[in-house]
Order: sequence, then structure tokens, then C-alpha cells
Amino acid sequence: MKMDNIITKDAEGTTRADGPRGSIVVDRVDKRFGGEAGVHVLDGVDLEVADCEFVSLLGPSGCGKSTLLRIIAGLESASGGRVEVLGRHVEAPLEDVGMVFQTHNLLPWRNVESNLALGVERRLSASGVRDLVGPMVETLGLYGFEKRFPHELSGGMRQRVAIGQALIRDPRILLMDEPFGALDALTRDRLNLELLRIWQAERKTVVLVTHSVVESVVLSDRVLVMSDRPSRVVEAVDIELPRPRDPKSIRETPAFGECVVKLNRIMGL
Amino acid sequence: MALTTQRIPAVLGRLPWRTIRDATVFFLLLALGWEAAVRVFEIKPYLLPTPSAVAVETWNSAALLWQHGLITLNEVLLGFASAVILGVVIALAVFFVPLFKRTLYPLVIALQGIPKVALAPLIVVWFGYGVSSKVIMAFLFAFFPVVISTLGGLATTPDNLLEHFRALRMSAWDTFWKLRVPSALPNFIDGCKVAMPLAVIGAVVGEFVGSSDGLGNLILLASGASRTALMFATLLAVTVLSLVLYLVVELLGSLVWWRAR
Repeated sequence: MKMDNIITKDAEGTTRADGPRGSIVVDRVDKRFGGEAGVHVLDGVDLEVADCEFVSLLGPSGCGKSTLLRIIAGLESASGGRVEVLGRHVEAPLEDVGMVFQTHNLLPWRNVESNLALGVERRLSASGVRDLVGPMVETLGLYGFEKRFPHELSGGMRQRVAIGQALIRDPRILLMDEPFGALDALTRDRLNLELLRIWQAERKTVVLVTHSVVESVVLSDRVLVMSDRPSRVVEAVDIELPRPRDPKSIRETPAFGECVVKLNRIMGL
Repeated sequence: MALTTQRIPAVLGRLPWRTIRDATVFFLLLALGWEAAVRVFEIKPYLLPTPSAVAVETWNSAALLWQHGLITLNEVLLGFASAVILGVVIALAVFFVPLFKRTLYPLVIALQGIPKVALAPLIVVWFGYGVSSKVIMAFLFAFFPVVISTLGGLATTPDNLLEHFRALRMSAWDTFWKLRVPSALPNFIDGCKVAMPLAVIGAVVGEFVGSSDGLGNLILLASGASRTALMFATLLAVTVLSLVLYLVVELLGSLVWWRAR
């Protein structure tokens, strides 16, 4: 009962007017670890992400792109600057934001269904949870694996469940921190395809952290390239490829090749 | 919660039948060797009875063993249960309240340093010859492993899962019940497996020091009467009691099959 009230209040508090500013606004965000003498990770990062835009953060490993994402998610605090998500100052994780981590973070004692239910079971009845979990299992292509436990799944399947855990809450914003980083190339391609399909069916604002140029071009509307530490956004590349995209055929197009070459050049490859 | 009761028959199905068969044969051979040695070397029965004499004595004194066994069982269960309840409560207090970590925890460690066998006479002076002094002895023996294992379990909650729960905006209550408790359970079960045989030792020590019944007391009586076969039979009863209780904990513990990464 108490919980319901909080959620309604939240929904009202978050006015869905997007205005001229994007759904994510990062304003001169600075991050140091270990005080003034410590590591300077983010050096006044500015960026905006529009509503329903798919943006990738691309950069060399260790450049702080994951840290930036964690600050946007409210899991870490900035040393300076300001982050606004859906018009609200971010200090802690927000209701309308879903996060997918590099490691899957599934609970080993819960099966697929029950792991998917984790984020919604508190605010919904048992039948309400079932109504969400069933279709989500379909969407993720995990039909027949509902009763399996994480240790009985392949790495790709676990990551799918992890994405489902975030999606089932129907967040307006999805933050993904190298969700396919630990997977082999083939599985990664397949999950990119599925991510595209899911996203094209139900547009959300997405920020994806990746170090794969190809992945960023296949998926994004815009790719933000970050520099080495102390890191800032050095270049924004619009990916003007038609949607809906098919990750296989789109790679054959000249426009795709141009984007990849351009990004590789910016990254100094 | 993913606790499936069908897992208990599954455990029985996985019992190592080959090991059981080989062990049984081995123990029978040992008993035969013992029997032969006693007969060949003509060892006096009050020093070392034959296994057959022990078996006969066990059969003849079954009612006596059962009666005293139930008394000891009662003491062990009460002591173990209070050790689990108080142990978990204290572990939670120490884990979540920094002040208790600085005060209660050092006290628990200090108490563990006292040889509990040496405490038995004092406990009997304080709590008398009745059940309560044995329950307290069983409790004292079983308490420490429960506290330490539960504390260890609570500390093993993986940081990445805690962060995941934060990102999902889970309440402190949900984080406790849906993450910390299941993560701590495997360690807690391990602690219980250590604590159960210790509780038996505690109760028997308590009965040695001051009691008019129970298996520990029966050993003393048999010793006084030079009935060595009865001593062996009672020893056997204590061992069986301890093993059965351990297996019960093991079986219940097999419901917790996971390990948090």
C-alpha cells in the first residue's frame, strides 16, 4: 500500500514533457578517484541524449566511459558538474532507468522466471508478474528455459536474462555497460540483432558503453567518442543509416563502411 | 524462493551406494579382527569386551539406552536450537550495528577462548543437576561456530549483486531477505554442521559433571560398576545419536545447493 503511493508520486513527479533539452543531460561532469592528487577520470564531460535516441559511448578501455554511465545511473557520484535524467537531478538510481551490467548479476538461487520477476514482484500481484514474465521470456527467446537456473545457462542466455531484468520494469531509459563484452563474437552478433529488434519494437532512450566500433555503428543513432584519461567527449558521429536495420545486410553497405572508417580514424586506429 | 522439496529424494538417489557397501564390509572385517584378537589373546572382558558381547549388551540394555538417549537428545536439541537462534541474532547485530562489532564481538571471541569443559562444574553449580545445565553446556559448545559462520556468510554477499539491487531500487528489507539471507545460507549451514556434533559433546560433558541421567551419566555408572560392555554400548548410542543428528542437518542443508559467486 505504502509502496503504491510512492510509485504514483514518482510517476507524477516525472513530468513527461521533454522540452528542448534531452532526456539525459550531462553538464561539465568531473570525476576524480582519491581526491585532488588521485586519478582524474572525467574532465568536464558534456553530453545530451534525446528522447528515444540510441547513443553509444565509445573509447579506449579504462577511459572512464563506464564511470560516466554509472554516474548517469546514480550508482556513483560526480566530483563536479551535474547530471539530469528526465528533468531530475540524479543523486541515486531513478525509477525510470534500467541498468545492464557487464557481468550478468543473476541470483544463483533463482531460476530464469524468478530472476526476471525480481525487479517487479514487489509492486505487482503474482498474476501481474506472470503477465509480464511470460511475454518477456518470449521476447528474449528463452522459451523452454524458464525453470533453468543461471548455472544451467550459457553466457549469452544469462546476459539475455540480465537485459530482461532491466526491460521488464519498462524503463524509459536503458543504460548498458558493455553488456556483451564478455561474450564470444558470434553470440555478441546474435545479441546485437536481438537488441535491435527489441529496441525497434519499443523505442527507449539507450546509452550503450562499448569498445566495439562495429557494434556502436550497427546499433546507434549517434556515437560519442571519448578520449583517454582524463576523459571527455572528443567527437560525436551521427550514424545516418536507415532503420529498421538488419545487422547482417547493413554491414555490406558503403555508408556503414564509411562510418566505421571514420570512427576508427578518430580513435587513432 | 527456489526451495524445492523434491530435492530431498534427489539427495537420497545420489547417496554413494558403492561407498556404503565397501565401508560396511570394511567395518565388519574390523569387528571380526577385534573379536578374534580378544579371544586369541584372552583379554579380560572388563578391559576390552568382544564386539559380540557389546552387541548382546546393547540388545539387553536397549530400553535403558533409549530412555537415557531421549534425555540427552532433548538436551542437545534445546542447546542446539538456542545456539542457532542466539548465534544468528548476535551475528546480525554484530554485522549491522558497528557498536556491537566493537563490543559484543570481542566478548564472543573472548568467551570462545575459555575452555568450555572447564566451565562445566561452574554451570552445574549455577544451574543445578537438572536439564538446564546440560542445555547450557550444549549451547556453549554449539554457539560459536554458528556466530562465526553466519557472520562470514553475511560478509560474502557479492558487491556486484548489492549494486545491482541498488540499481533496481530494492528496499533495505528486500535486499536483506532476497540477497543477504540467501547469500549467507550456505555458510550458515556449514556452521550448523560443525555445531551439531559439538552440541552432543557439550551435553555429554554436562552429564559427566553433574547429572542423574542421560547417556553421559550412564557411561559413568557403567564405569563405576565395571560393566565395560555397557560403556561400549552407551558410547555406541552417543555416536549413533550424533551421526543421526548430523545427517538431519546435512539433509536439511542440501536444500541450500547454491553458492553466491
